[in-house]
Amino acid sequence: MACEPNRVRLLCMLSLTFGFFVVEVVVSRITASLAMLSDSFHMLSDVIALVVALVAVRFSEKTQATNKNTFGWIRAEVMGALVNAVFLTALCFTIVLEAIERFTEPHVIESPHVVIGVGAAGLLVNLLGLCLFHGHAGGGHGHSHGGGHSHGNKKNKRAKLCKSDRPSGNGASGEETNNLVGSPNGAAPGRTTRTDISGKDCTDLQLNGRAPYEEMESGHGHSHEDSSASQLNMRGVFLHVLGDALGSVIVVVNALIFTFVWQPCEPGLPCVNPCTEGHCSDHQNHTLVNESLPASVSRAGPCWVLYLDPTLCVIMVCILLYTTYPLLKESALILLQTVPKQIDMHQLNERLRGLDGVLAVHELHIWQLAGSRIIATAHIKCHDPASYMDVAKRIKDFFHDEGIHATTIQPEFVIVNSESRASLCELSCRTQCAPKLCCGSADAGGGKKPSLSGPPACLEVISEAPESIQVVPRAEQEVIVTREVESSL
Amino acid sequence: MLPLSVKDDEYKPAKFNFVHKLSGWFRSILADKTSRNLFFFLCLNLSFAFVELLYGIWSNSLGLISDSFHMFFDCTALLAGLAASVISRWRSNDSFSYGYVRAEVLAGFVNGLFLIFTAFFIFSEGVERALEPPDVHHERLLPVSIAGLLVNLVGIFVFQHGGHGHSHGGEGHGHSHSLFNGSAGHGGHSHGGHSHGGHGHSHESKHSHGHSHEHGHSHGHSYEEHCHVFLWTGVFLHIVADTLGSIGVIISAILMQKYNLMIADPICSMLIAILIGISVVPLLRQSIGILMQRTPPSLDHTLPECYQRVQQLQGVYNLQEPHFWTLCTDVYIGTLKLLVAPDADARWILSQTHNIFTQVGVRQLYVQIEVAAM
Repeated sequence: MACEPNRVRLLCMLSLTFGFFVVEVVVSRITASLAMLSDSFHMLSDVIALVVALVAVRFSEKTQATNKNTFGWIRAEVMGALVNAVFLTALCFTIVLEAIERFTEPHVIESPHVVIGVGAAGLLVNLLGLCLFHGHAGGGHGHSHGGGHSHGNKKNKRAKLCKSDRPSGNGASGEETNNLVGSPNGAAPGRTTRTDISGKDCTDLQLNGRAPYEEMESGHGHSHEDSSASQLNMRGVFLHVLGDALGSVIVVVNALIFTFVWQPCEPGLPCVNPCTEGHCSDHQNHTLVNESLPASVSRAGPCWVLYLDPTLCVIMVCILLYTTYPLLKESALILLQTVPKQIDMHQLNERLRGLDGVLAVHELHIWQLAGSRIIATAHIKCHDPASYMDVAKRIKDFFHDEGIHATTIQPEFVIVNSESRASLCELSCRTQCAPKLCCGSADAGGGKKPSLSGPPACLEVISEAPESIQVVPRAEQEVIVTREVESSL
Repeated sequence: MLPLSVKDDEYKPAKFNFVHKLSGWFRSILADKTSRNLFFFLCLNLSFAFVELLYGIWSNSLGLISDSFHMFFDCTALLAGLAASVISRWRSNDSFSYGYVRAEVLAGFVNGLFLIFTAFFIFSEGVERALEPPDVHHERLLPVSIAGLLVNLVGIFVFQHGGHGHSHGGEGHGHSHSLFNGSAGHGGHSHGGHSHGGHGHSHESKHSHGHSHEHGHSHGHSYEEHCHVFLWTGVFLHIVADTLGSIGVIISAILMQKYNLMIADPICSMLIAILIGISVVPLLRQSIGILMQRTPPSLDHTLPECYQRVQQLQGVYNLQEPHFWTLCTDVYIGTLKLLVAPDADARWILSQTHNIFTQVGVRQLYVQIEVAAM
């Protein structure tokens, strides 16, 4: 299998983290420390994130089209990335809540040495994870080959081998190769490599005869950022491990400061803890805060130490959210069937219409399946069936140049020789389902988005009055169908 | 510079634009009955949360404060639902050629994820408290949870009329068990046993098994309403879940008061967490199917038949690469390639194919014709 390195890394990290989780639970039972137990649940959520990523990786290797999933499971990685990002966000909320509670009610750390020990061990595990997922092949830039091999990217690019596969049967479409997909805006500091230049990410793809894709650098220069699906997934895992590492850092720092700065109350001496009110702990014997105490009563150490923990937590949450947001946005946009960033629809539409033999273009949709697989569909109006195949070839080449290799072009033929009506969609829906089509239909309420001027040709849903035509039955028991024709409006 | 179009938005100052946008969103929300109800319920929930927060600050009860935070978190679920309903009505543009209709599926999915996370969180807290049972302040639990129950009942009655799902095509796919379970009104908290600063909460959360197959009338509704089935059923179930959770809290509080069963609290939490987890699975499965571009489940049986019919058309040699997927609820899109004879009537084949698939409900179809070389 071509995706071993990623899977191996994930499995490795998974076993490490799970082992550490078990250790933490045991230690928490021994020392009866509740904080340790709650930290171990954070570890468990880390384990879950890794499991999700692993599942996504396993699924997306099943790129065979099945009956139910005709696109294969490629999108699993985008989903994995989204799930991880959402979990991370929810985790951040939880941490914020806990931090706020600590603010209102600070508590001292019991047995800080144990905490330091376990925290350091956790930090080690997480640092190891960071190294694992930071990717190993440096930020090389990608270049395309014919035969195809891949080399890793700076940031968790999978080193997959590319096996090109001849498509079966379909003569028109050759290899599907894919373009780079722009990575989102919003630079995150350091960690997530936005300015990555893609290496090649090859997948063994068998999609009803479609060849696997390999990424090649487009002609637009070197600064293309790559966000293939696998990278998205790994990025999610990376962010999760980063969050955990930051948490461990905070735990260790806090415990260290606590050991050195905090003066606890000695057991047996009368002492008061002015920082926490109203609760007794085992070896602090204090009353409610009372400033006028005799000098012989010692006070527990500086109070600001107790507020360090929640403050650091809040800072960590901010960092995490800042780095998670781009990932969240990117995977959400893919799932929302957005046009990929590097494609300018308007311009593409214009150039398509400028092609020879193309009279009109409607219902052009371009969306990203996952990573760098882009799919486009359109209705193209042309003169007559005879010249159609030429036009089709030209259109396909055009799309290939744009980097879109999975296209489905539906031809429409002009019935009458009226070029002026060229923009009407011949095979549009009947009247009653016109509002049910997805684009350009009635917009309810005032929810108008002040959007860029979309190309008008794309959204033509004309509800023409259908003209009933008797269709000559040709060995087909079809009911009499209504056939939409160009109405001469 | 004279504006060249009626749309002179770009010449207006930015602030006016934003206000204009905001008012546009409000109008959009208030236009549709269901989202209007949801909006009012959200306001109600928010005010309840604020009241709880203020009361908690005033009475210096950490439990109430953190409970109000949880209610805020809960409100984000409703907010997400509202946002998705507004967003999915936006028109398509250059970047979103299909429009924003998928937002509702994504919102349902994210809701489900949050729910799973909450269940996990509650479960872990339950485990913690089972191992180290803290004291629970009963006296705060009951009034707060009763108030929460009342708020949620209001929500149910108000929302019941508005939220109708569509069971389209005669198949029972119109339900989605979304359980966004925040912890609205989940009662007070426990302090005590602060030996290690462990904080105990009684996160009694709500759950429900509302298998509501809501059958609305499926005619005369605009397109956008179709797409909101996913969303509205989810939000409705969320509210029902909160209600049942309040009831659960009340019951467990009574148990603890009358029979002094301290263990009831964590066991309740764990059970509820498990139930939440189980009941959110169908929603997740459904939304994952849609997001993964899976063939629509309701077409699973009819598609092979359609393929047959298409292949029997005169002149068609072969049907290849069929891809059918769901854009959002009940909107199916498909692409396929046909290999036809050189002398076939392409137009006729195209229109017949369209009709075949329109009859099963696929309204957007792209048929690529390839003429076999002779």
